[in-house]
Amino acid sequence: MTELFTRRNIVIGASSAAVLAAAAFEGVRLIGKRRAPTPYDDLLARLDDRDADAQIGEAVLAGFDNFDPKTVAAEMRQRLERKSLPEVMLDDVRGGRVMEAGGWVLPETLALLCALAAKAEA
Amino acid sequence: MSAFIDARNVPSGTILEPDLVIVGGGPAGIAMALALANTPLRVVLLESGGMTLDTKTQALYDAGETGAPYLSLEASRIRFLGGGTNIWGGWCRPMDNIDFEERAWMPYSGWPFGVAALKPYYPRAQVLCEAGPWLYEKAEQWSPEMGPMLAFGEGGVVNRWFQFSKMRGSELPTQFGVRYADELKRVRNLSTYLYANVTRLGLAPGGARIDTLDVAALGGHKFKIKPKAVVLAMGAVEIARLMLASNDVMAPGVGNANDLVGRYFADHPIPRNIATMILFDGKLAPYYLGNQTIKGGIMRAGLFPSEKYRRTREVMDSSITIESKTELDDLGKAALAATAAGLGVDGGNAVAYSLGGGCEVTPDPDRRFTLENERDALGMAKLKLHMRIADSDFAHFRATLKELGRQLLASRTGMLRLNLKERAQWLEGLDWGNHHMGTTRAHSDPKKGVVDANLQVHGVANLYVAGSAVYPTYGAVNPTINLIALALRLVDHLKGALR
Repeated sequence: MTELFTRRNIVIGASSAAVLAAAAFEGVRLIGKRRAPTPYDDLLARLDDRDADAQIGEAVLAGFDNFDPKTVAAEMRQRLERKSLPEVMLDDVRGGRVMEAGGWVLPETLALLCALAAKAEA
Repeated sequence: MSAFIDARNVPSGTILEPDLVIVGGGPAGIAMALALANTPLRVVLLESGGMTLDTKTQALYDAGETGAPYLSLEASRIRFLGGGTNIWGGWCRPMDNIDFEERAWMPYSGWPFGVAALKPYYPRAQVLCEAGPWLYEKAEQWSPEMGPMLAFGEGGVVNRWFQFSKMRGSELPTQFGVRYADELKRVRNLSTYLYANVTRLGLAPGGARIDTLDVAALGGHKFKIKPKAVVLAMGAVEIARLMLASNDVMAPGVGNANDLVGRYFADHPIPRNIATMILFDGKLAPYYLGNQTIKGGIMRAGLFPSEKYRRTREVMDSSITIESKTELDDLGKAALAATAAGLGVDGGNAVAYSLGGGCEVTPDPDRRFTLENERDALGMAKLKLHMRIADSDFAHFRATLKELGRQLLASRTGMLRLNLKERAQWLEGLDWGNHHMGTTRAHSDPKKGVVDANLQVHGVANLYVAGSAVYPTYGAVNPTINLIALALRLVDHLKGALR
């Protein structure tokens, strides 16, 4: 009678299971992150978590009657052309440029980038 | 040492003839009575209640109300020796310079004197409140031992300090009636009457001075007082009532030729959970969340709009306190993650706190008391309050909170959510400070104020008002220590005027 739980079999089994689990996880992750290209991908790449940012963006858009993504994107590109996002955010708040998202007081540039993220999801 | 006199035992028909009558045994009246000790003046102090709460006396506050939701006056005032200090929280803080200034953008603003007129009296007021050594902003010299103060950087909101009336073990802050009863009894030139209600200010013919006060006790005894001068120190509600109801000589009431008595009533709105503040590093010194003893003072830090910010941005006063930890919803968690990442700070240890506070209201002539036809147990006309609160009052407070949010971001310290926006949200669960102010506002022009810079009623030579009833504008700090300073200033004036 062959020994089923040999050390070799356990190692092979565990390794196979780990590989399968990792592949499954990565597959779901890759499928989850797949998004249609948008005209603002260069800007949205600056954001950390597109899903969460889109949620904030929906709250930002609730404060707008007319939101023109093209105009906003052009403005954002100009602001971010020579500065990093943290620098632009600090410029915003030091200059009094803040916006509300569901009551949260946010730097204007972050709020508008989130609004673009929400538009991209729409 | 002379015992207090129970007005219910004073024979009807008695006539007292002191130099000065102080009507009202709250903090203003008690402070004045003590300050007049050992002067040549013979002083009578009248208190409507006794030494403890009595429901029949308390029912004399029963009044009608219309307009914006407000507290029942029966529940928000206390009618026994010590007055409002029987239920106060002990919060002390002097008013700011700007509170006294005329501001073009704030209608009806401007006191007939500045804060400099009160400064000499604050130290004694602090002692009477048993609020410890005068520290306030000096506390910042020692508070870092308990943890750093919040660093907001440049901007409109700054750290400020409250001091608290002394707690003795589990006792509440200093209750003036209990604390000062023995001292009042020891004042040889003072007679204190309990259960003594003034039901009429009797003007002399022509109305230029008070001749007689009618005093009644529940139960039927009535007597009169013919003083040289009278100080009304019963609080903004009852002062207005007595002046309006004393209308037998002058039809509009005493001191009411310009229809100002009872108008401009105010209180401090106390909305709950006004904002959620996140601190990225989660660290908050304990003196923000509750009282801490620092160098002999019981201290708590709060957040206030600076005077410069109030002037330049034209916003009214407010005070913000940090109340307790709170949880974030999904949007809050997303906002935290996005903002911390965007600013390049670590939000992994962030903690959220609920903010509370109070705000100033705009002086409003239509927020007022009038008399009703219905009468109370003493035969006095009952009051009716028409309460109002302007949307702009909430908007000013919201603007200051938004500025705090901006500063938290600019200093990379944290961030803030404004929890209230629409009027209905502000009014939902709105509490009030029980800080009754206005109704006999001070102004040097009789057409704009009931009392002058000396707190004398315009046109009535021997009638004065002590207390927050004289506030033309209100600030956002608790009134007790400030109204005591006002009352002590009035004492100095009376010492000269009655010489």
